[in-house]
Amino acid sequence: MAAKGSPAKAPAAARLPLAVLMAAAWLVPGLGHLLLGRRQRAAVFAAVIATAFFVGLALDGELILPRAGDPLSYLAAIANLGSGVLFFVAKLAGLGDGVVTAASYEFGNTFLLTAGMMNLLLVLDTHDVAVGKKAW
Amino acid sequence: MLDHLSLLLLDAALIAVFFAFLWKSDGAARWRYFWKVFLALSLGAIAIGWLMYPFPRS
Repeated sequence: MAAKGSPAKAPAAARLPLAVLMAAAWLVPGLGHLLLGRRQRAAVFAAVIATAFFVGLALDGELILPRAGDPLSYLAAIANLGSGVLFFVAKLAGLGDGVVTAASYEFGNTFLLTAGMMNLLLVLDTHDVAVGKKAW
Repeated sequence: MLDHLSLLLLDAALIAVFFAFLWKSDGAARWRYFWKVFLALSLGAIAIGWLMYPFPRS
């Protein structure tokens, strides 16, 4: 018997290689779960990650890129890149430069980093669902 | 702009919703888990902030 909330089938994901599925999950928050037929969870994840990301931008947070001589910036860049297409669109739009003097700068960074890391966890969860390690 | 406590609560709420849906499959378990994570993050941050009072800023 299927677990509560699990889909009857996942036709789109069945045709996709695992790497493509994981790439889709990274690029668009929630897309991996949507392709696997988890529509409710996909919607919630997309909403949570987008909210965290846009709040972070609104609070003058910075989309950090690697800086020479600053090892922690590499970790922050990985977390920020985890937001997928949100990161690239914001960068293209000239957003996310950060205002270091703003009182909310660190809070903005926290929201942006949180959004990216949550999406990276979704990529791993998409993998687990796709290979059958997680039933729901 | 929201004050720092409101921002802390908002971040904790977003994270709690995320993990509740990531790790729990039914509604009741999700609610319980949401409150556990939300309270742990909120009260934990306040407790750590309070414990840091004695330390100098610079």
